[in-house]
Amino acid sequence: MSPPPPRSSRPSAGAGSAPVPLALAGQASLRARLVARDERALVELIETATPWLLGLVQSMLRDQDEAEEVVLEVFRIAWDRAASLGGEHEGLMPWLLRIARNRAIDRLRRRSRWRRKVERAEALGGVDSGTVQFREPDESAHPGWHVHESVHSALGALPEEQQAVVRLAYFGGLTHSEIARKLGIPMGTVKTRLRLAFDKLRVTLAPIQDWVR
Amino acid sequence: MTPHDWYVENRAAYVARALEPREERLFADHLGRCEECAREVAGLERDLGPLPMAVAPAVPRPGLSHQLADAVLRRPSWWQRAAPGLAAAAVILAAGLGFRERAARSAAEAALSQRDHQLAALRDTLSIIREAQHVVQQDIAMGGYKGGLVIFDDPVTHRWNVVMHGLPAAPADSVYQFWFITRTGMVRSVELRCDSDHPAFATVAMPDTPGPVMGAALTVEPALNRTPEPSGPMLAHVQF
Repeated sequence: MSPPPPRSSRPSAGAGSAPVPLALAGQASLRARLVARDERALVELIETATPWLLGLVQSMLRDQDEAEEVVLEVFRIAWDRAASLGGEHEGLMPWLLRIARNRAIDRLRRRSRWRRKVERAEALGGVDSGTVQFREPDESAHPGWHVHESVHSALGALPEEQQAVVRLAYFGGLTHSEIARKLGIPMGTVKTRLRLAFDKLRVTLAPIQDWVR
Repeated sequence: MTPHDWYVENRAAYVARALEPREERLFADHLGRCEECAREVAGLERDLGPLPMAVAPAVPRPGLSHQLADAVLRRPSWWQRAAPGLAAAAVILAAGLGFRERAARSAAEAALSQRDHQLAALRDTLSIIREAQHVVQQDIAMGGYKGGLVIFDDPVTHRWNVVMHGLPAAPADSVYQFWFITRTGMVRSVELRCDSDHPAFATVAMPDTPGPVMGAALTVEPALNRTPEPSGPMLAHVQF
């Protein structure tokens, strides 16, 4: 498997200066407004986060309608639990993305036809050893693109065999026994590669600040 | 290796959602009881928080944002639906607590907390035993002590859990030695250390030998002379 393709050569949204958080200066943070149940804040959140949530879920589920359903579930959860957001140490976007990924994995596992779908996609050459395609859209001016570039580089810096395991597990929703079968390696090796990859990623990703405040 | 080591070993797999469904439920159950694992998993999730953004954004179809906002705002949230019930529960709780002395409550909470920890440890063990497909035990009488050996498999971790209890500490320069019985002979496993008040608990991997494991044995062996076959007195011999 090749590493994730290099990002666009166009300058990123935050290139040349510190990335600007989404909340405007002098304005209460999006999080605070959500906690206060400001409906306009929800609309702003939806407009800001939908492309990223949709990108993630669509690439995992490979079904646009189902991906939109998951994104709706995520925003419902966010709105329902808005009151508890104030005490969270986790960034708003990572929180939404985590819910979205978990929901997508739940759906993948519920699908009885999932395995056949992967096999079909593989037969068509649409999936390499990972199940998620890290596409190259022309979206470098998109809010949050600088985070995407940093994360993409961090993932691309991992040894290929570790990338493969992260893609299959984290983005593909495969269990370690499924990954072991798919890659033809022992289950212990899958666990070790995943652990090593996460050890490296948590060092490189930890300093990244959430870009939605 | 203790049962807790399995959880430590699989924290990354849990965060990645790479555990098998039953393992995942077991792990989630454990997180509710183990502060250390809960803290570590939360830290890992926090540090890896931006990872999903490795996937490029998708352009939503026209009108999707409006539809999403309408759908979310049209539906009453769970707390609005549950508000009457929650209010009633809060009144009952407040009334109940009002009758208690603060000091008595603190003492009760401390005692409860201690019991919770004990219960959590017991639940961890029981959760493994409950799933076990094979449980074997044998009573052991030794020097006026009555103890026993309990062995049960953990189908989730594919390991055997061994508990030795009620026996005195091994004689000087000796150890309690646990063995697997295989088609090709006895295979040395872990040394168990215990005294009459403290049982020994070990989680062991299956021996790396061809064919099935047929049973297990417990012997007393010289501490410094590790022979490939048992040389000391046999305390227990069980068939799986």
